[in-house]
Amino acid sequence: MRHWPLALLGLIWAINGHCSDGAYLFDAAGCLGCHTAKDGQPLAGGRPFETPYGTFYSPNISPDPETGIGRWSKDEFIRALKHGGAPDGSAYFPVFPYPSYRLLSDADAGALFDHLMTRKPHRRQNREHDLPWWLARWMMKPWQWFLLDEPAPPPSDPTLSRGRYLVDALGHCGECHTPRDWAGLADRGRYLAGTRQGPEGEKVPNITPDRNDGLGRWDGDDLEYFLESGALPDGDYTGSLMAEVVDNTTSRLTPGDRRAMVDYLRSLEAIPGP
Amino acid sequence: MKTFLSLITSVLLAISANTQASEAENYIKYRQAMMKAIGGHMGAASQIVRGKVAADGDLLMHALALAELNRNLTRLFPEGSDFGETKAKEEIWDQWAKFEQAAADAKQATADFAAAAGGGEPSQIANAFKAVGKSCKGCHKDFRQKDD
Repeated sequence: MRHWPLALLGLIWAINGHCSDGAYLFDAAGCLGCHTAKDGQPLAGGRPFETPYGTFYSPNISPDPETGIGRWSKDEFIRALKHGGAPDGSAYFPVFPYPSYRLLSDADAGALFDHLMTRKPHRRQNREHDLPWWLARWMMKPWQWFLLDEPAPPPSDPTLSRGRYLVDALGHCGECHTPRDWAGLADRGRYLAGTRQGPEGEKVPNITPDRNDGLGRWDGDDLEYFLESGALPDGDYTGSLMAEVVDNTTSRLTPGDRRAMVDYLRSLEAIPGP
Repeated sequence: MKTFLSLITSVLLAISANTQASEAENYIKYRQAMMKAIGGHMGAASQIVRGKVAADGDLLMHALALAELNRNLTRLFPEGSDFGETKAKEEIWDQWAKFEQAAADAKQATADFAAAAGGGEPSQIANAFKAVGKSCKGCHKDFRQKDD
């Protein structure tokens, strides 16, 4: 019985969910999909992203000290994730969704770092991006200074605010579901209204509540069920990139978080198109 | 004579290429209709399994239909049917063994669902239905293009 204070502490720790916080955030932030190549080691990077700005290859974010982020400090990680700044002082291309991740709290970004450090290190040298002649990494500094605008403030309602955090900060849904303008920035006026030219040349659907082009005719239950299972209301199942998102992220969220995402999406302005 | 023969040959070749192309088109139409049938039964079964409608008596019919429709999915994808109006990815034929496995998973999952629907507990039915959905999504993830 001498150990009861320790047991009590352990119990409080477990109830608070501290052991799973980082793992849950890791799923909610969808790190795995982009940072794992087809048939590659988890988080060792190398997945190609063909974009109008060239082909980018995701880096190794496993804790390997030589080729991954094993030597990074937590502060360096938070700066990279939220501000797009590499430890060597250069700036990342926004194919890395820091314009979304900058909405994360420092505590959550730090928990993500702690979780990544518990993953298995894999040795895989990063591959240089294939850029068009007019694009270079140094341009990303002025891009961040002059073009990247301030994010919109969160809604005041706590459920909607949680939903917004899951949709915008963690889920970074807008990276695919919002079209980009000439400078590669999310087009604010068409927030989550879909695009004909999404990743891998695929059409990305409008997820605003527009009745004709968006989710206006879906009921809330169907949307939650979609995020859980990938099932569309007509009995079809989603495929391709969204099936990855369902597998890696939305099916792993708590029902309460899925409901918050749906409530937030249904609170948005309906935009027709694309 | 030589010209005549080569003319005949090219006409015959054109006819056979045309037949092959239209045969591929026929298979594409056939499998799209089959997939719609599967989707129809999945959508209906989902409404019942999730308790949205009181049609429990029909669940077994949908489950049996799904098991029959998924019995041999690979025959819907003959070689050469990747041209034309199809969302089937080339990966189906490039990674045929993987595709066969996905089809076998769908067959197993729908057979299990039919068995559960024929007198299983509600939780068993729900889990079996979930497994069917997982196999649909798994195959669409690797082998189906998005709409364009």
